[in-house]
Formats: sequence, C-alpha cells, structure tokens
Amino acid sequence: MDGKKMVTVKIDGHEIQTERGTPIIKLAAKLGIYIPTLCHNDFVEPYGSCRVCSVEMRRGKRKRLVTACNYPAQDGEEIYTDTEWVRENRKLILELLLARCPEVPIIKEMAAAYGVTETRFEKLYSDCINCGLCVRICSEVVGANAIGWAGRGVNREVTTPFEIDSQACIGCGACAAVCPTGRIHIEPLWALKEGEPREFTLGPASAIYIPTYQAVPKVPVIDPTACIHFKTGGCKICEHVCEPKAIDHNQEERWEEFEVGQILLTTGYELFNPVVMKQYGYGRFDDVYTSLEMEYMFNASGPTNGRILMKNGQEPRSIGIVHCVGSRDVNYHPYCSRICCMYALKFAHLIRDRSEAKIYQFYIDMRAFGKGYEEFFTRILDEGVNVIRGRVAEVVKASPDKANDGKLLIRCEDTLVHRFREIPVDMVILCSAIEPQRDADRLQRLFSLSRSPDGFFLEKHPKLDPTATPTDGVYIAGCCQGPKDIPDTVAQASSAAARILANIARGVVEVAPILAYIDPEICAGCRLCLQLCPYGAIEYLEDKGISQVNEALCKGCGTCVSSCPSGASTQRHFRDDQIWAEIEGLLLDRR
Amino acid sequence: MKKLKVEDLSKIKEKRIKERQLSEAGPYRARIVVHLGTCGLSAGAQSILETFESLVAQHPEAKAYILKCGCGGFCAREPMVQIETLGLEPVIYVDLKPKDVKTIFEEHVLKGSIVEAKRLSPEESFFARQQFLVLRNRGKIDPENIEDYIAQDGYMALAKVLTSMSPEQVIAEVKASGLRGRGGGGFPTGIKWETCRHAGEERKEERFVICNADEGDPGAYMDRSIIESDPHSVIEGMIIGAYAIGSRQGYVYIRKEYPIALEKLNIALAQAREYGLLGDNILGTGFSFDIEVHRGAGAFVCGESTALMASLEGRAGIPRAKYIHTVEYGLWNKPSCLNNVETWANIPIIINKGADWFTQIGTGDVTNNPWGGSKGTKVFSLTGKVKNTGLIEVPMGITLREIIFEIGGGIPNGKKFKTVQTGGPSGGFLPETLLDLPVDFDSLTEAGSMMGSGGMIVGDEDTCMVDMAKYFINFLLEESCGKCVPCREGLRAMHSILERITKGQGKEEDIEALQDLSKVMIQSSLCALGQSAPNPVLTSIRYFREEYEAHIQKKKCPAGVCPDLYEMTIIPELCSGCMVCARYCPTKAISGEKQKPHQIDRSKCIKCNVCYSLCKFNAIKKI
Amino acid sequence: MEVNTELIEKILKKWQYRKDFLIEILQDIQDEYHYLPRLVLMEISRYLEIPLNQIYEVATYYKAFSLEPKGKFQISICKGTACHVRGAATVQGALERELGIKLGETDKNLEFTLEAVRCLGCCGLAPVITINQDVFGKVEANEIPRIIEKYRKGQTITASTKVTSGGSRP
Repeated sequence: MDGKKMVTVKIDGHEIQTERGTPIIKLAAKLGIYIPTLCHNDFVEPYGSCRVCSVEMRRGKRKRLVTACNYPAQDGEEIYTDTEWVRENRKLILELLLARCPEVPIIKEMAAAYGVTETRFEKLYSDCINCGLCVRICSEVVGANAIGWAGRGVNREVTTPFEIDSQACIGCGACAAVCPTGRIHIEPLWALKEGEPREFTLGPASAIYIPTYQAVPKVPVIDPTACIHFKTGGCKICEHVCEPKAIDHNQEERWEEFEVGQILLTTGYELFNPVVMKQYGYGRFDDVYTSLEMEYMFNASGPTNGRILMKNGQEPRSIGIVHCVGSRDVNYHPYCSRICCMYALKFAHLIRDRSEAKIYQFYIDMRAFGKGYEEFFTRILDEGVNVIRGRVAEVVKASPDKANDGKLLIRCEDTLVHRFREIPVDMVILCSAIEPQRDADRLQRLFSLSRSPDGFFLEKHPKLDPTATPTDGVYIAGCCQGPKDIPDTVAQASSAAARILANIARGVVEVAPILAYIDPEICAGCRLCLQLCPYGAIEYLEDKGISQVNEALCKGCGTCVSSCPSGASTQRHFRDDQIWAEIEGLLLDRR
Repeated sequence: MKKLKVEDLSKIKEKRIKERQLSEAGPYRARIVVHLGTCGLSAGAQSILETFESLVAQHPEAKAYILKCGCGGFCAREPMVQIETLGLEPVIYVDLKPKDVKTIFEEHVLKGSIVEAKRLSPEESFFARQQFLVLRNRGKIDPENIEDYIAQDGYMALAKVLTSMSPEQVIAEVKASGLRGRGGGGFPTGIKWETCRHAGEERKEERFVICNADEGDPGAYMDRSIIESDPHSVIEGMIIGAYAIGSRQGYVYIRKEYPIALEKLNIALAQAREYGLLGDNILGTGFSFDIEVHRGAGAFVCGESTALMASLEGRAGIPRAKYIHTVEYGLWNKPSCLNNVETWANIPIIINKGADWFTQIGTGDVTNNPWGGSKGTKVFSLTGKVKNTGLIEVPMGITLREIIFEIGGGIPNGKKFKTVQTGGPSGGFLPETLLDLPVDFDSLTEAGSMMGSGGMIVGDEDTCMVDMAKYFINFLLEESCGKCVPCREGLRAMHSILERITKGQGKEEDIEALQDLSKVMIQSSLCALGQSAPNPVLTSIRYFREEYEAHIQKKKCPAGVCPDLYEMTIIPELCSGCMVCARYCPTKAISGEKQKPHQIDRSKCIKCNVCYSLCKFNAIKKI
Repeated sequence: MEVNTELIEKILKKWQYRKDFLIEILQDIQDEYHYLPRLVLMEISRYLEIPLNQIYEVATYYKAFSLEPKGKFQISICKGTACHVRGAATVQGALERELGIKLGETDKNLEFTLEAVRCLGCCGLAPVITINQDVFGKVEANEIPRIIEKYRKGQTITASTKVTSGGSRP
C-alpha cells in the first residue's frame, strides 16, 4: 500500500488522522491510551504472539478482535480498547499465561489487574512466555543472531543453537533488557561461583556514557569496542530514541590543527603497574587492587555503587594498605611519589566510614607535609587505624587448612618494634608509584624539552622558574613535571596560566639580543648546524643553498657557532673578537 | 521434441486416440487398466501389474495393452483392475491377489467371459452417485504420459485461454463459475485472482502462483490422489491462473510424505516443459511461465498460507498476521495467489465447458454474490468405520446420508452409525440428526464443522467422542507452531482437561472451562489453525454432551475406548473356549480350558484390546 | 565426526546454493546421514550465509528432521484419524512391547526407530505402518512379532506378504 494515504480512525471515541498502515498501538500511544502488551517493543517488528493487546474493532455492523500491535488501522474504523468483550478476552489470555508462568511477577500483576488470581488450567511453572522479544532484538536490532527458536508447539522454546554457548553472542545484554519476565539475565561477574575465572570489570557499564561527571563538553561518548553497532552493524537504538538526532555513528576521529602562540603541557602521569612486583600478588590473587581501582570502587557511580566489596560479592573484614609500591625503591623508582601517604589515609577514612573492616597501613615514612595533613594523620590514628612501619615483604595466600583459610597474608618487618609481622587480611590495596607517561620521550622531542633523570619534564629553573621550559612559549604544570598533589598542581598550573596571560597581554615577545647569525656569503650549506641546533631554530633554504637562523627560536646557545666548519655562524654581540676584547679589557684593569 | 504450437495439440490428440482405440483391425482389442496409486501399491498392485505384464507378453494374440493408471478411488477394495474388451462392458475386478490374475486374464481377456467371483458387482452403489469433474481422467490416462492427458482434451483450455481470452476474461469466467477454494476456506477463487492481479498491476510487482499440496489433514488424501493420477490437470490450471494473474513463476509445495505424487509431478513438469507447455513462449503465444517444486518437511501448519510461504522462503513455517492479505503481500512480500490442488484441477474444465455449465452443479446462486452458494463438485476421502472407504467426488449439496450410506455402503459389522467428522482436525463432529444436511461450505460451517480440504471420517458406536476430541486436540497440540498464546496454551490446557476426563478425573466445571478456552482461541488466535482448533471439542460437546457427562459423573466410557473407564470381561454364554484370545494375550491375563468359557484376570489386563479384536464370537465385552 | 564437504557441496550445488531451498537441502542431508549432524549444519550455515540460529530453528521445527541418529529400520505408525479409529493405538502398544522402546525412541543397537506419522494417505488400509519404504496395511497387533522378527533376521519381505489378509475388523 502507499504510505502517503491518510486515514481517519476513532480510538475510544477520539478521532485521529494517520498514515494508512500505522498500527493501532502507536496511535493509542499518541492519544495517551494505554494498551497492555507483553510481546511488543517499539524497536522490533510487531509479532503478535501474546495477544494481550487485542482490542475491539468495529466497522459498520462488523466487529472483531484485532491485535493492536500489528493491526493497521483502516479508514472509518472505530477501535475500543477497554470494552467488556476486550476485558473478557484479556482475562482468559492472562489466565492461560498464568497457567504457564504462575510465579512470574509481571504475569501475576497483569492477571490480578483483570481479577485473575488463580488459574483453572494445568500449571507449567515456566518463566518464559515465548514472546520472542529476545530472539527478535538479537536478530533484528543487534544482528548477532545468537539466540533463536527451537521446536514447535508446546515444545517451542528460546535457546541457543544446539543448546550450547553461542559463539555468535556478543554479550550485549539486549535480550535481557527486553525480556518481560526476567527469564534472561546477565550474570554479574562478581557473583560467579567459586573456581570460575574472575575479572573485575573496570570498563564502562554501557557502550554509551558520559565519561566523567565533570566531563567537558558534558556529552555522552560511544565506546566503539563495546557498541553493538560497530560489532554487528545493527542496533542504533540510541539514534532512534535521540529526539534532537544528535547521534551519528559515521563520525570518525579527525585531526584538527590550531595555530597558537604558547602551549601549556599538563600531560599528567601514569600509574606504576604493580604486576611486575610479583611478591605483592597483583594480578595473581583476587582482591589485590591498585589505588586507582579502589578510587573507582569508592565512587558512588562505580561498579559497586560505592560499596566496598570483594570479588565474591562479600564485604571484606580486614584491609591492608601498602605504601610505596614502586616508589622509594631502587629497583623501580627511587623517588617519593608524594601523594600516596595522604590518599592512603583518605582510604582508611573512607573505609572506616563505610564498613566495619579492620585497616592496616604499611608505611616507610609518613609524609604528611602539607597544610593540615599532619592533623589528618592524627585523626586517622584516633579513628583506630593500625599503622605499621615497615616495607611489606610479600603478600601470600594463607594455606587452606589453616585458620585464615582464603585470606591474604601480608608479611613485613615492623621496624618500630623490630619484629616480623604476618597480618591476615581480606583485601590489599597497593599504593602504586606515579610514573612519567610512557610516551613522554615523544613529547620531549616534539617540544625540544629536557627530562630529569626520573623521566619527568625538566623545568627551566627548579626554584626561580618552575613552570617554564627552555623552549620559549612552552610551559609545564602538574605531574608531568614531577609527582605532586592537587594543591601543588593547582598552584603550578595557575602560575603557568598567569605567565601565559602576561605574554598575551603584552602582545609582543622580547628576545635576548644574543642570537646566532649565519653569514650567507660564507655559508657553504653543509647543514651540520641543522642537526646540532637543540631548538630547531635553523632552516635550510633550498633555493639559495644556505642555512638561515630563525631569530624567534634561537636561544643563543652557540652550539652552531662553535661547530660551523666555515666560520659562517657567529653569535651577535658575542663574537670572538668581542669576547677577546672583553677579556683584554678585564685583564687591563687588573694590570 | 519440438516445442508445440497451439494447432499441434489437436493433432496429438487425434493421433493418440487412434493409437489407443480398441478395434479388431487395430493393434489393440483389450485394455487392462491397473490402478497404481499409493493405496493400490500398498495393497499389492505392483505384483498384480507384473503378473499382467508377463501374461500380456506371453499372449500377443490377446492384443491387450496395460494402462498404468493412478488411484481408482475405491481404496477398500484395492488392488483394483478394470478390463475393457471389444464387445463387453468395462468390468472392474477388486480385492485381487496375484493368483487371481491368471484366471481373469485367461477367462476374460482371452475367452471373453467375465469372472464373477472377483467382479465388483454392477449393483455396487459406490460409483453410482459420484460425478467426476476433478477426477475426470480417472482410469483413462497414464499420469506419466502427457499425450494421454492431451487425448482427454488436456491443455485445450490453456490453448483456448492463450489464443482467445484476455486475462480479465479468464478472471471473469472463473468468477462467474462461483468456484470457491477447495483447501477449506471456501474463498471465491475469482476474487482472489482479481485482487492479486490488481495488487501486482498497481505496484508493478511480479506475482506468484502457488499450489498448496501440503495436505496435512489426517484422513484426507484427495490432493495426493489427484497429483498421482492426473498431475497435468493441476499444472494446466496453474498455467491458466498464472496467465490470468500475470505471473511468470509458480510453486508447488508438496508433502515429503507423498513420494509417488512427487515423482509423478516431476515427470509431468518435465514433459510439459519438453512439449513447450511450460517455460518461455508457451505454445508459441509469447506467454512464459514455469513451476518449481518444494517439498514440505512435515508440518501441518504449513497448509496455512503465510506459513507455507515462509516455508517456501526456506524458513520455519510459522504464520504471521493476515491483516494484510497474501494476495497483496505474500511470498517475498509480493502478490501471491495460493490455491489448493483441487481448486487448480477444477480450472481447465471450467474454461473448457464454461461457467454456465459449472454453475448448474451445486447449491445456491452465485450470480451476484460469490459467497451465495457452493458450485461444482467436491472430492472427499471417505474413511473410518464405513464399508466402502475411498476417494469420492460428489456434487455440492448431496447429503451426508447419501455419501455415507449409499456411496459408503453404511457401517460395517452391523454396528450403528454415531458421527461423521468433516474438515480435518479443525472440523467438527456431526451427529445422526444432521445426516440430511446438504454438503456445502455454508451448511457445514453453520453446523459447527467445516468443509475443510475434504476428509470425511465416519465413527460407529465404538467411537468415544471425548477420546476423538482428545485425539484431534493432541494432533493440533503437536502441530501448532507455538507462536501465539491462545493456540499454544489453550491447546495445552484443553488437552490436560480432556486427558483427565478420559482418565475418570473430570470435574463438573470442566465442560465450562473447555467452552471458555474455545472462546478465547476462536476470537484471538493468530491464524486459522488456532481459530478453528476448538471445533472438535465444541461440536462434540454440542452434539454429544451426554458422553462427556458420563465420563465426568459416572466415570464410564460408554463406547469402551478410554482404558481407565471400562473393564474387559468375557461373557461365558458366548465364549466357545477357542483359546485364541488366551494365546495372544500379551500379559497372559486370560485363562481357561479348551471349549470352556475363559476368564480375564483384571489385575493383569492392560486393555490392549488384542482379545477384543480377535474374538470371533463377540464374547469379549467392555463394561 | 568427519564432515564430508564433497557431499555437502554436491547437495548444495543440486539446489543452486539457494537460501530458499534450505529445507530441501536439509532433507537431502537427513536422507544421507539419517539425521542432521551439528557440524554439517554449521557448514551449511557458512556456505549459505544463513545464521545458525535460523538453521537450528528450521531443523527442530519440521518433523522430517532429527538431530539424533536414527535406527536402521524406521517404523512409522500412521496416526491419522482413520487409523486411530481402526486401532492404531493397539498396534502401537504391540510394537512398543515387541521392540522394548517407546514411541519416538530408537533402540540401543540403532536397529529400529519407532515414530508416529500424520496420515500416510492410505486410509482405506487402516491401520497402516511403514518400515522404511515398505507399507503394511490392515495390520493387526498379533502379527507384529512376526513382522519385526523378519526384519531382525534381515529377510526381505515381498509385496504380496506385506499386506495381511485380514478383513476390515476394527
């Protein structure tokens, strides 16, 4: 039929005009009339299996029951959604469904709404009504075709092919989401049975999400590794429900170029991966977490809604917090990561706040150097947190036959009492070191920066100019320069911003007059200086066959001057003869 | 073989008639018609044929030839042979064994004297009341020989349509004939064709014609028999339909359980292609059409049009809502015209003889209202507790009594008639009081049953109505696709209620529950299977309520069918002590000495009924 | 199980690799293997690019298909209406006792499979059973042991002995 033809129908007395072929249920929804249904969902084709949505259709003298989900309204028809006949019919259907699924809440509720609390028919005690929503969403929307039908008649059921784990399943959970009876559910990973492989999921719970609560711009992103559309080419439900039509699955990452005068590097840090410290058991034992994973667990929007849970879903009764994992350790990083002591104390406070668990802190030195930090430490001690001074030697699993069955044992030397300690705990938190970003060297070359031996970017001057770098117009702030906590980071970043704003306000850049100059008459175009210039300030002019100094970039270091084989490169105001003259002048005075 | 032109048809016809004519001067003076339908073959017709073949070869002086025909229709008396010789009326021999063949050949074919012992009595009323339109070529053609069909005016209707009628004229003729779908629905065929043509023209879509040969009704085998015996009539009907609708592609959906029909159909299609009656440029008229065969894989619901089309598309045969008809959106969402085998087979004769001739047969008046009557004949398979089981063709409007007692010869073994079930599992049971009901679409529907595809099953006094209802519900339960709730769950609930009634655990309110279930199934099932499924239950309650009550209240099965509701007993006065029952009793529950009345140990009896069926003295009774 | 790709390709080629012939293809495979092996179905799914869940649905929907191996002799009891009326249940009981299996089962030696079919269309000969391609009409329960014994011994039964001489007693 042609979609353009308009028809007028009446639903419960309300007249509505629509395109021919529109199912009644859609029209009723527009009018705000509720029609109960179990097998219909806007995202899949109408199926008409539950028949609960049957309504009365009258045309002239004819009347019959039709299913609202797929009956295309015809011109001049009157639809009644709640007549005696409709109710009677619905009641019998629900009585039949109640016989099939006597224990499914939604069926019990719907049946009760029509006065059916007991069924006369033989009970089946199934929890599936064969509405097929799961199968249809899996094939029509998701496109995975992982589940399907088997058998026919009373034996028809939803299953995976051959009733074995389907290789086609992408674990999207769409089937569970649409299942009206709750027969299909996605098993939470931490509720798996003993002995099965476990995984603490830290990935996003859904493929489309707002990255963080403070995200800028605050719009959702789609994770292409989790999005069904990028796996099967189907779904796109988000596109259907997004009224402003803001979702475009064809969008791709792209490079944008900006012309700027100054750059502030705040590339941050990376967390040391403690898996290499085998003695701490990270990655080997359940319930050994890094500090960042714990932050995620503490988060009210995190995977456990802020509850502190072990992988078996139970609350831990004791927790050990291990400081200096990878820091202050000649094998890994000799420096102090500066923030761990304080966040470890914060963890203790949060745990104390949310659970009954006993807390043990294992530290080397308690570095509570900031404003109010020492007071916080004292408060934590008052809250009854156990602190043990000593580097943890290892974390092991208690042998099953012992009293501490299943627990983790933290072994260390308590240096204050000079005793070896073995503390049984349920959970271990490793305060991992702060490390430079692994691609810091790439950034270093790009911006002609230097790095200190620990790998962090080197500032221009440790005391007098801690935010600038040797490259003019390039500033650094935060942990890319070295481990620091939030107040320090904010202070440094504000200072850098002030420096940048000052330059902008001035509008011009002052350059020191001591610059290199290459005499075009003498330059032979050997390009030796090009490779040596640490600031990339020399360019080669192809047409003239000589090298030239970019005076805005030159720092006057003199490297090119000393290396120029033909003596074409000289330092302005710093020429050999000038130096000699200065020396002679000095010597003359002495004389 | 050169592709035929229109004018070649009559030449072939003349040649073939001449070849096969019986005459003293000609090559043949005797014709032996052997019926080789599935029924006949399973009754042993193959060895009858082989015996005749060797006799004909041994006696060239007999100048006899064998015509290997399809179904003879009189299934109860197969193997069946008809012998025509010069100077004698055609004689039908029935219940043949290979040893009878020699006598018949020597006596009848060679000497010209009829063997009365094996002859079907001329007074036998089986064929008397029948009228052959669809089965017009029964006993006249070899289904594997297209020229035999052409000799019986085959493909003449096609030639007529292609040369002298426009598609609209063909549709008008079919409409005027009042032909209604023989698959069960009784939808006027002409209207179907017209809507299909119209939908295709409007959307400029290709159209399909489909032949439904998925005859799933238990107790019905008309379609199988027609395809086995006269496949070309179906093919010709389809080509004419395709021309009228404007289709280039046809499909036959046939049950896998019918291997012989499938074989004959494929042979016929190949021959039709060879003769230029299928394929490109049919009979040189520029019209092109071909037919593809799909085998069904065993699903009753595939007789439903949307399920059949899903199956043709290679999917599970599950019906969809028919708010939009298949003539508009059918196979591959294109206009599709689906008709049953018998409907297609009616087309050539309607075209040949005209709508006016056709409307003289049957009931009602269809001049202005296509639903106004039932025209033509209907083929039924008459089975069950009736003497003359077989395939019959009767004019619409004949009464049930005429069919059962005249054609069918009444109930065997002196039992009493109880019920006749028409319309397959979705039909209903009709009682003795309705025996004078004229058989047409509307009267049967009114009585709570339906025409269906033409199964007609007779039950005698030994038939338990509750058991029969349970049997059909069980059948439908297994055959329901399981998609919609009323059908799937309703049948399950019905079955469990009937099960408990037949076990003697029925409750007073069960009858009402069954009626409630019927109501919801009829008004809100998705397809015709569910909508008509309660018919056996409803009609058995309507006409035989007292039997339900006997099961529920007295805990007795009056017909002695439901094992929990009767006991086996031996009536000492009738028992001759022949020991047959004791010998065959699987549980050794019967004991007794020779020539003295036997006894049944009821604790051992499993009611297998072996003794009951073996006793020649009616001494075993169920109480 | 080894998948005979040559055989599969032969069957697929016969049906022109057409998706709408899936049911025909599966019937041919059923005829070859006497059931539908899982690995073969997976192969078909790959060849025809039909998702496995759809093939599984078709394979479990139609009566003609089986996912379990069947016996050498397939015994089908017609449970059409005419046969039901004329005592198919009695014959079924006799067969079950004789073979020691229930309807729908296959015996341990993979020798006999007992199944019900919906009307073989020989209602005039009711009750009817078929053993592979052989049809037995007007069967009576007490003949069952004799018939089964012949198949057990591997004798072939000629057409004339197939149909018993019994009359039309119920």
